[in-house]
Amino acid sequence: MELSWEIILMQVIMGLALGAIYVLLASGLSIIFGLLDVLNFAHGTFYMLGAYAMFTAISLCGNFWVGLVAAVVIVSLIGGLFEITLLKRLYGTDQIYPLLLCFGLGIFIPDIIKMAFGLIGKVVDYPAMLQGATFVGNLILPKYRIFLVVLMALVLLALYVFMKKTSIGMIIRAATRDRLMVNCLGINVSRVWTVGFMLGIGLAALAGAVAAPMVQTIPNMGDEMTVEAFVVVVIGGLGSLGGAALGGLILGQVVSFVSLLAPDWSNVSIFLTMALILVLRPRGLFGEEGRD
Amino acid sequence: MKRCLVLTLLAGLCALAFASTAPAAPPADVGWEFPLSGPYGAYAEEMKRGVEMAVDEWNAKGGVLGKPVKVLVRDSELKADVALRRMKEYVDSGINIIGGNLSGGISMVINQWANKNKVLYMSTCHNSLGQGKDWGYYGFTTGIKSYMTGAALADFAFEKLGKKWMVIAADYRWGHDQVAAFLYKSKQVGGEFLGAIYTPIGTRDFSAYVPQILAKKPDFLVLSVFGSDLVSAIKQFGELGLSQRVKLALPKTAMPIMKECGASYNENVYGAATWYWTLYKKYPNAKPFVDSYTKKFGRPPDADADSGYVGAYTLFMAMEKAGTRTDVAKIIPALEGLKWNLNHGPEEFRKCDHVRTQTVVILQGLGTKAKGWDQAKVIAEVPPSKTMLPCDVDRADTVYGPIRDHLPGK
Amino acid sequence: MSAKQKTQETTSYKPYSWQAILEFRAMWVVLALGLVLPFVISKPLATEIMVYALFALAFNLLLGHTGIISFGHAGYLGAGAYAGAMVVYYGGVGVWVSLLAAMAGGTLVAVLIGLLAVKRKGAYFAMISLAIAQMLYFLALSPFKRWTDGEDSLKLPPLSVDFPFHIDLSDQLSLYYFVFVIVALAVLAQWRILSSPFGHALKGIRENEDRIRACGFDITRIKFLSIIYSGLFSGLAGGLLAIYLGAASITILFWMTSGIVVMQTVLGGTHTFMGPFIGTAVFLYLRNNISNYTDRWEMWVGAMFMALILLFPEGIWGTIVQKIGERRRPSAS
Repeated sequence: MELSWEIILMQVIMGLALGAIYVLLASGLSIIFGLLDVLNFAHGTFYMLGAYAMFTAISLCGNFWVGLVAAVVIVSLIGGLFEITLLKRLYGTDQIYPLLLCFGLGIFIPDIIKMAFGLIGKVVDYPAMLQGATFVGNLILPKYRIFLVVLMALVLLALYVFMKKTSIGMIIRAATRDRLMVNCLGINVSRVWTVGFMLGIGLAALAGAVAAPMVQTIPNMGDEMTVEAFVVVVIGGLGSLGGAALGGLILGQVVSFVSLLAPDWSNVSIFLTMALILVLRPRGLFGEEGRD
Repeated sequence: MKRCLVLTLLAGLCALAFASTAPAAPPADVGWEFPLSGPYGAYAEEMKRGVEMAVDEWNAKGGVLGKPVKVLVRDSELKADVALRRMKEYVDSGINIIGGNLSGGISMVINQWANKNKVLYMSTCHNSLGQGKDWGYYGFTTGIKSYMTGAALADFAFEKLGKKWMVIAADYRWGHDQVAAFLYKSKQVGGEFLGAIYTPIGTRDFSAYVPQILAKKPDFLVLSVFGSDLVSAIKQFGELGLSQRVKLALPKTAMPIMKECGASYNENVYGAATWYWTLYKKYPNAKPFVDSYTKKFGRPPDADADSGYVGAYTLFMAMEKAGTRTDVAKIIPALEGLKWNLNHGPEEFRKCDHVRTQTVVILQGLGTKAKGWDQAKVIAEVPPSKTMLPCDVDRADTVYGPIRDHLPGK
Repeated sequence: MSAKQKTQETTSYKPYSWQAILEFRAMWVVLALGLVLPFVISKPLATEIMVYALFALAFNLLLGHTGIISFGHAGYLGAGAYAGAMVVYYGGVGVWVSLLAAMAGGTLVAVLIGLLAVKRKGAYFAMISLAIAQMLYFLALSPFKRWTDGEDSLKLPPLSVDFPFHIDLSDQLSLYYFVFVIVALAVLAQWRILSSPFGHALKGIRENEDRIRACGFDITRIKFLSIIYSGLFSGLAGGLLAIYLGAASITILFWMTSGIVVMQTVLGGTHTFMGPFIGTAVFLYLRNNISNYTDRWEMWVGAMFMALILLFPEGIWGTIVQKIGERRRPSAS
């Protein structure tokens, strides 16, 4: 199999699209960990909820875009509810307890979805305008994948603007660094945490919703995504949003090219990449001191 | 220290008392297990329902040998260790006829253990129990031998779809079985093999392979994967324009797959299955089964339900014939000579390898015309004479074995 | 306060002595119960409880006693299972060699993870261990398939012990007692380790790492050793698991196994010695029985676990120990 430049370009594009899902998941996870010190072991579950919410919304209104927005909003609210009623009680205890609570949630929710939606997966279709691909000679440009890349870029831009330019973003950044101080300044840190958690969950839901047309949408679809999201976050450096984004992009390319050249190793490559980066930079790409 | 000893003795006495009240009779006639939780729950549920239908049907007629028959169904969680534990527990409680499972790999593990312990095992899935060194006297299959669906589909494909072909195969025994079957048939009819790609189980993204496949321009692409891998592949190939240009041949397809792929499962997708519910039009014996299943569960039965149903049904038939519900040494010979005509025409367990001789149906997708449970069209049915290799060949694995051991690209 | 009371206050302040005695007794009670367990519940379940209890205890060496969160313990278990199975399958060795190989396998992975992550704290260690374990899973599944048989499980021939006397491991009861004796010895060994100065240093690290470092202990070396011990005992559990199953199955390595051992340990109580053992027994028993009534047992297990974390974070045994402790110490002075 010769590697023409068209194949390489295609792989890069596929890798970017793959990376888009990773970036969305990892940024959400990074925000939650950075702000709340919680390793959200239910992150994949919210990804799955995003896909199911998307399915439900589209069944009700028939429009992909409305469904997308609805899915993100609904699942973020569910996340917020979880945070306020259950997760909040465990702040301040040993780091392992919030982690385990999330883990328990990740076991609990898929079964609820099985009962509500049945065992057979659901179909989410591509929106009409993004179906198919444009063919430029031997080059295939799938419209939906390009949309994913554009979406990722927009989301990253929005996050950047949000974090750096808005006051809420500033508060979140401050609370990530020093929650005591923020509290002393009279800001209700508790509410900041809820907002941050919902933001992180919203990103996971978005990832699930846009992934839904491409993969099997079943209640267990998020199980493996949690681990992969963590790998991306570790590569990028715990607590660094930029690192999560870069890590996601790198991983997307790695998986894309390894799938092409040595499919056997495509699943392992994620972890080997992580191991390699950790050996070279033990804190990840942009990991910060003391963020252990 | 003394208090400690007393406590310990008390605990021991209580336990012994507990143990002595344990019941002596086995709690059921047959113990089944399927991966009811986990990602294959939809298929496992079908198998379980098939078994339950058979039990209900026999008990309505008065049971087996005059007494109602009872079965236990447990969750194997798609894990070999859990499946083994369930089987061991059944045997521990006195049941020595066990059945089930969905994973060929786990079936082999159970089969090995069952044969070691002289327990009758009725496997209901696609597996390679009847082949090579994995065969055991105590194992039976109402699923199918894995290579048979591949062979049937290959026959059909080379005749109707073209001669140039490629394959994407999941990198484990079942996947390899299909590749071997296609390679064998390809050589027989002069097919042109263009290449193989092996993907690990759990592959979510198949887009990387599209350019190479399009470049080689095969007439059809064999997709020897299953479960979520298959759904992802079909959806993505539809998205990327592959299935509009190349026909897809699926050695194993099922109703959940068709439903989950939606419109991507179009007229260019051909799949092999052991059964499909519209077969009642050809086999009138199947109609009551389809009707009562649909009435009870709100949907028509799928191949897995048929597998579970026939598995349980034939066990009960054999018990009647042998005149015993528990003596495995008598039931096995009864099974070996058993002939029946249930959902699929006249069938039997081949004596030499205990595999059900069933036809394989080739299904064509309906794409956007699919509605409700009408997801595919039966366009061919391949008899076992064309797919099953002679017994001695299979037991010695002389045909597929060498091919499997030297798969191209591995 | 009288002079006598004052002396008692100062000289009898040994924070873990009453707890140590309690745990010691609990250990013997549990082991005694273990002798009759196969007559109370099914033999396979009893054997599994023993194996996984050992695994949980090994896991808790890190979590409860050293304060390191490991989410990749399936890696040690799986490495032990595959190492033990492969030497039997390819080398035709006996059971004892298999168990030694299993311990070596677990230790090897522990060295790997230790080298990569011992200096990392909390979240990093958890993530790295999780990733390494998951990598091992995918390695065994695909690229190394020809040695591990991947999805199809590496199946073993019937096994028996020949030395010091013949035990036919195909018999479920004999298998149980064989596993039980080894697990009991391992539990006693762990008790010895934890009662030693090394064990006390581990507790110190959990409580206040900086202070222990200030006292002159080499934290990294101690943590590394702790990881090694944990890997060793987990590997042993893995080897026993392979013998019990008669096969090394790929699902042992999946990350859910790591998650479940964490759940079992926390269920029993991570700040105790016997907690993990008790937690494992309760968890496996419940899981086995709930799934007899419903396919959706994961929902119940998940819900109960969340309730446990919120209401009784010390776990079953941990809460009992805590209550006993509260009754022992009068509230005043």
